[in-house]
Amino acid sequence: MTVPAEGQWRRPGRLRRRVGDGWRHAVALPIAALFLLPLAWLVATSLREGGRPPARRLEWVPDPISWANYPAVFDALPILTFAANSLLVAAIAVPVTVLVASWAGFAMAQLPGLWRWRLAALSFAALMVPVTAVWVPRFALFRAAGLVDTPWALIAPAAMGTSPTFALLFLWTFLRVPPAIYEAARLDGAGALRLWAGIAMPLARPTAVAVAVLAFGDYWSNFVDPLLYIQSTEKQTLPLALRALNELGRTDWPKLMAGVTLLTLPLVGVFLVAQRAFLRQVRDER
Amino acid sequence: MAATPNVAPAQADPAVPWSRRRAHRRSGWRPRLGYRGQLLLLLTPYLLGMTALVWLPALLGLPLAFADYSLLEPPRFVGLANFRELAGDEIFHTAIFNSAFYVALAVPLRLLGAAALALLLFRPLRGGGLYRAAVYLPTVVPDLAWALLWLWLLNPIYGPVNQLLALVGLPGPAWMVDEWGARFAVVLMMSWQIGEGLIICLAALGDVPEEVLAQSAVDGATPWQTLARVTLPLLAPVLLILLMRDTIFSLQANFVPALILGRGGGPNYATTFLPMYVYTQAFDYLRFGYAAAMTWAMYGLTALLLLAQYRVAARWRLGFRDAE
Repeated sequence: MTVPAEGQWRRPGRLRRRVGDGWRHAVALPIAALFLLPLAWLVATSLREGGRPPARRLEWVPDPISWANYPAVFDALPILTFAANSLLVAAIAVPVTVLVASWAGFAMAQLPGLWRWRLAALSFAALMVPVTAVWVPRFALFRAAGLVDTPWALIAPAAMGTSPTFALLFLWTFLRVPPAIYEAARLDGAGALRLWAGIAMPLARPTAVAVAVLAFGDYWSNFVDPLLYIQSTEKQTLPLALRALNELGRTDWPKLMAGVTLLTLPLVGVFLVAQRAFLRQVRDER
Repeated sequence: MAATPNVAPAQADPAVPWSRRRAHRRSGWRPRLGYRGQLLLLLTPYLLGMTALVWLPALLGLPLAFADYSLLEPPRFVGLANFRELAGDEIFHTAIFNSAFYVALAVPLRLLGAAALALLLFRPLRGGGLYRAAVYLPTVVPDLAWALLWLWLLNPIYGPVNQLLALVGLPGPAWMVDEWGARFAVVLMMSWQIGEGLIICLAALGDVPEEVLAQSAVDGATPWQTLARVTLPLLAPVLLILLMRDTIFSLQANFVPALILGRGGGPNYATTFLPMYVYTQAFDYLRFGYAAAMTWAMYGLTALLLLAQYRVAARWRLGFRDAE
């Protein structure tokens, strides 16, 4: 989409535009600060020297700054083992998710209208099923299939593209491709798989990136599934380790906040790298 | 949900010479299935996965509600006993109240927040990308990390929130020690994670034709009139979908805050939302049948809320049409 430069439809031109922008900055700046406030406190607390009583007054920057809480997290728990478990799950689940969701989205986009909307409705309906509704029966099914206490119980949702949202996102993207582009290739005798790989996916790269990032976030953050389906300590993923850290020392806030930062940092990094795929609706350049 | 993919019109494949095309067809790669069959094949993993992970478990949950089942022995049919017990279970009533209270407060807050921020940020602004990233950032924090962080932020004595309030001279609530403080605390922390709603609203506003907005300005409408008469009605369908989506999400997503912040649904069951109580009954007390019955109550509540929203929204939109 393109947004008109404001001057195009607001007559008085530059000066007023500047004033208008100043007003928006004045509102947006405190709001942005408010949204970042919890994260600022998170990092500040994690850098506070451990073992001291909590500050009596609000501390924006701890004095002295201490990095010791981060190694302390690694000493308290086998973080690297848990991180490896988390990464293993994500490494299998994320590509499978992109594959399954984009196949489904592509097939829905290419099927005739009636079928497409039926399948989309089915996907919406699946979104409405409460997660709590499937906890218990899924546990029973996983137990019957021998998946409980294996990483496969955590990877399993990738088989359906993790969430119908992702398939619908691909459907929406593929519907925006002019059909003529596919027709030409079909006349050449290309099959569905070749159309998907050769034409559809290259055009849908931003969506694929967004889905991959969101899916990575889902698997990296997943706390409930390992809580339900994983019993052995050495097979746990990072979020459960963090909970254990909380249970070990309920008053060692700096160390806990260091752990929270460690769990969060990879996602923040991935988001900042990929944010253009998310927030590209608006072009700010003038 | 996320990104508006800017689909560049791709160039059609350069014409392949006839000879090569023929060779290609003869090379045996030609699929035996018809095109639609191939599409169905691509769809198979998704449909199979959805059946195995959503529909089958959801269906299995139905009969489970009429059984006594502890996973250790085979299920035993008990008729309506679970539902009768639910009717008299005061904690269950509290859980329904908590969930309803949470939805009634959190959903409008999150929706209004996302829509207002999108209206503020959808037009080009120098540094606008930074603002949008800042608002989105809390949303990427894993829910467990977010809950643990707020456990510290809302510490009644040392927590930064109450220390900030003290700095301004306001008395800080006791948050998780107090029943109502705890209910509001969960709403508060979830109001920060509205990035997905923001993205959806930004995408929807991007689809509003610019000529319509320009025409409204030319006609002499004030920005407020443009917002009320043009932008919001055009945004209404997306807001409705977002409202329903967030209602479903909100009925389910307060499990982790209840477990971590409320230390399992406390104080005095104030954060025992429906998912928390389902979890407690199923995985702490191994009463899977009872938990399944509760799950059906949750379906009912979800469906009821969605229907009510749809009804109200339908009337609201009709009102707009009359005005035109």
